Amino acid sequence: MGIAYTMPKLAMAMNEGTINEWLVQHGAKVQKGQQIMNVETEKVSYECESPEEGFLCIVVPEGETVPCDTTIAHFCASEEEVNNLLGENDSSAPSPETDAQTSESTVDESADASATRTPLESVVDKGYEAGRVKSSPVARKLARENNLDITRIEGTGPGGRIIKCDVLAAVENRIEPSQATSASPLAVPPTEGTNVKARIPIKGMRKTIADRMQQSLQTTAQLSSNWESDVTDLLALRQRFVQRQEQLGTKVSVNAFLIKAICCAIKQVPIANACREGDEVVIYDSVNMGIAIAVPGTTEFDSGLMVAVLHGVERMGVAEIDLEMKALIGRVRNGEARPEDLSGSTITMSSTAGIAPPGMTATPVLNLPNVGLVGPSTPQQKPVIYNGEMVARTMLPMSFTFDHSAMDGEPAARFMSALHEVLETPELMLA
Amino acid sequence: MRTLTLIDAIKEAYQEELRRDDDVFMVGQDIRGGIFPHTKGLVEEFGSDRILDTPIAESGMYGVALGAAQEGMRPIVDFMFGGFSYVTFSECSVTTGQYHFLHGSQRALPITMTAGVGTGQRLANDHAMSIHGTFAHHPGIKVAMPSTPYDAKGMFKAAIRDNNPVMIPWHMGIMMLKGEVPEEDYVVPLGVADIKREGTDVTVLANSLQLQNALKVADKLHGEGISCEVIDPRSFVPFDLETVLRSLEKTNRLVVVDEDWESGSFANTVSAKVMEQGFDLLDAPVTRVTLPDMPVPGGYMEDYIAPNVNKIEAAIRSVLARIAA
Amino acid sequence: MNTALKTTTLSHEQKVKLFTNLVRGNHYDKMMYRRMMQGKLIGFYHPAEGGVAPGVGACSFLNQDDNLNPHHRGHGIIHMISKGVDVRTFLAEHTGKDTGCCKGRSAWHFSYPEHKVYQQSGFIGHNFAPTVGWGWAAKRRGKGQVVMNCSGDGSYGEGRAHESLLMAQNWKLPVIFFCENNSMAIFASAEEMHPLPDISSLAQGFGMPAMVVDGQDVFAVAEAALVAIDRARRGEGPTFVECKTQRFKEHDIGTPDLRGWEERSDEEHQQMRNREPVTLATEKVLADDVLTQLQIEDIHEAALREIEEVEAFADNSEIANPTEEELMAAVFAD
Repeated sequence: MGIAYTMPKLAMAMNEGTINEWLVQHGAKVQKGQQIMNVETEKVSYECESPEEGFLCIVVPEGETVPCDTTIAHFCASEEEVNNLLGENDSSAPSPETDAQTSESTVDESADASATRTPLESVVDKGYEAGRVKSSPVARKLARENNLDITRIEGTGPGGRIIKCDVLAAVENRIEPSQATSASPLAVPPTEGTNVKARIPIKGMRKTIADRMQQSLQTTAQLSSNWESDVTDLLALRQRFVQRQEQLGTKVSVNAFLIKAICCAIKQVPIANACREGDEVVIYDSVNMGIAIAVPGTTEFDSGLMVAVLHGVERMGVAEIDLEMKALIGRVRNGEARPEDLSGSTITMSSTAGIAPPGMTATPVLNLPNVGLVGPSTPQQKPVIYNGEMVARTMLPMSFTFDHSAMDGEPAARFMSALHEVLETPELMLA
Repeated sequence: MRTLTLIDAIKEAYQEELRRDDDVFMVGQDIRGGIFPHTKGLVEEFGSDRILDTPIAESGMYGVALGAAQEGMRPIVDFMFGGFSYVTFSECSVTTGQYHFLHGSQRALPITMTAGVGTGQRLANDHAMSIHGTFAHHPGIKVAMPSTPYDAKGMFKAAIRDNNPVMIPWHMGIMMLKGEVPEEDYVVPLGVADIKREGTDVTVLANSLQLQNALKVADKLHGEGISCEVIDPRSFVPFDLETVLRSLEKTNRLVVVDEDWESGSFANTVSAKVMEQGFDLLDAPVTRVTLPDMPVPGGYMEDYIAPNVNKIEAAIRSVLARIAA
Repeated sequence: MNTALKTTTLSHEQKVKLFTNLVRGNHYDKMMYRRMMQGKLIGFYHPAEGGVAPGVGACSFLNQDDNLNPHHRGHGIIHMISKGVDVRTFLAEHTGKDTGCCKGRSAWHFSYPEHKVYQQSGFIGHNFAPTVGWGWAAKRRGKGQVVMNCSGDGSYGEGRAHESLLMAQNWKLPVIFFCENNSMAIFASAEEMHPLPDISSLAQGFGMPAMVVDGQDVFAVAEAALVAIDRARRGEGPTFVECKTQRFKEHDIGTPDLRGWEERSDEEHQQMRNREPVTLATEKVLADDVLTQLQIEDIHEAALREIEEVEAFADNSEIANPTEEELMAAVFAD
């Protein structure tokens, strides 16, 4: 049957992958280590190396998205075996029993090589199931006439077949209307005659962003608070580092100082560095800083968003933070990210400095599963009362978004105060 | 209204048509004596020339009808038992069915053929087989079978007056079924199905003895709140598919009861036609109740294999089945 | 020959008619053979050469309202032209034209109800069953119509032939069982397939009068046929007439010329040719001063011209080209 090749799990947060491209043709001989597939995950795309040697029997075609650990190909001993596998594939008509299987049991079977059914058959059956909803002809016709998505109706006929009365019940209750009926008048696309500039498919990274943002807003009790910190002294301190950039090996960025400041505040209020994981809020010792990065989109009109993760920043000085951060961002932007580069954040920083207009405050959306997100914006000089006198100081608009279900206002406020104090008194970073 | 048995209703149709048209005559074996009651006594009114007994020679017997029909007469052929028609099948089906078409539509053959058919007498295969499906399979012959005394009189009269060959057997299992029959002249046109009982949940297409069985099942299920629409096709050729499709618009479920072997049966034809022309009306697979593909056994074994009320009920329940909510 | 049956003497006109029909029939058969070989006939052709006299003798004196079942050899053309059927539409049918007697639907079948030639069955021996019906209808009408039922020795193997003899004699129907015995079916010899040398021996068992005549002598055939026809018209019942005749060619064009399973011998062919019916008839009309050589040549020429017209009609007609819907609508009569 050949050796099964499953969708690799390339990151903790990776649940499924899209096969962008098979780099080797079906039936071709591949060497161990040869690049065979380009996979797009929620955040990034990878060139994957073949873990085995053999003739490649492709099961899941390009463009398909499948869960991790799903068999996507087989490494066969011969071309003949490739053909045999396909032959079985064709003749393996699904039985009523397989129709009734849950997707969990199918996955279990495909993972279990000793199961009586081969992984390939499981995958094929699953694919068949996925595309097939048992329904009677009149039920399909009624669903069509009523703009109902039949796949979302529960069947009560023999073997779970969707029959007429099921569709009528759905019509009656307006249960599970399809997009066409649920869409408000505003959501109706423009009619013909309106020129289209570009079409951006909601897939790949765009799909991940869309799903994550919705999930974030729908599953947490998040809110944002805003304040301003006087970063005049911090910028002056940074300037002294910049003057020594050759010595330090990097022109230390403001962000590096901000990250350091966040670490200091976390030390005082640890709950800001935490994740919602199931029924628990897990507070971490080490700080894995998620850094939101804008990346090019699929067209010139849109953009992408990635959260690169700098692990263990609490142990680093600002120069090291800066160096590591720049390397990380470089890898992510060049499509060379390592799995850990894009997962495992414990808190997020999303800066709009230099992009947003001066003074703008924001309410950024939490990066799940983190419970806190710090959002610095663009600083500006403002007249302020400093040591009893009206002077011009550089003020940085800040926001902190937190999940109230994990963190109440009191610790949140203490965290913001701690961060404010470090930003205004950068010497405290030495504490 | 007065009531008659089905077999007497057929006899009345013969009598009226024999009186109405001098070209009508009957040919068969021992029909003057009346091996079945529908011909008994006819000779006294119409004489041996028009109630014509032949030697036991089916080809010659049918040849009388075929030749006379080519000569413009309107023969009624009684094969006694349906299976006996097969003795001269090449004449009564092949030659007769092709005659009008193949010879350039020059002359039609107004031949009425009949015979007793069906289970219920425990007489075994050659005396119990149905023949409507086989005759319907061969083009050029109309095929019909009555289910009630009323239909029997009207349909036999329609068959005798039809300019085409018509095979119209009658089912021995309902020979003595009584029903209202008008004394006046009327015809029940061939090719028109009849809704024998209206309903909303499932359509049951059945004929003759099996129609009577289907009506019994419909009565029983009515008590459970299941509403069966029972349709009698009455004619197999031409077949009134329209009436069935109209019913399916309402019920979306079809059970076809056909006392014939499964393979190559009328039930299969209906099933295929409904699939092709009424696919979007179906809420459940078309389900058939037929004879299994075995020679019909005689004796008590006939009861085990023939379509009956239990099998019809099971089929109706199967198309109405739903998993527990 | 059954001596109980009275004989008849042919008139001059009857002899001329018989000779003329024999010449026409022979030319028609040759035309059909030629056209088949030229690829101008649909289906197959069963040549009649050598056996054309019985059909002419049987049918030349039938009335239009007498029933005829023509022998399948020659596809009935000799019988039908002798009875007076215009066969232009017969040839058109054989060539798939819309002017065919069956609208181009049936190739070699034919039907001329107005001449009471109802059918050509694809089943050998299937003429016997309707023959009873025709006879029964004729008797019931009582107008002196007769039924000429022509078929070969082979067809008398059919049970339906026996049923038909039984019923015709039983009811004294006006039917002539006219057996054209050319001594072989497709290949099988009648000697092997029938227990007695004369097929007409069958009639004896039913108490039916029978005659055996020289089927190569058109005048002898006609004399016997007229006796049988006369009996039938007068309501005296059926007669069996057996003509001992021959078949020069193979069963149908393209099959080997076998007797049993062996090639027919040159000797058999030579013996047959010595008794070629048109030659025999020509000698007789010349010897008996019925016709002159010149008149005979005129008869041949007229026959050939007639056939030219028949062929032209068929060739100038259009190929039948109905739609499937039109054909479906023709399955049943109104």
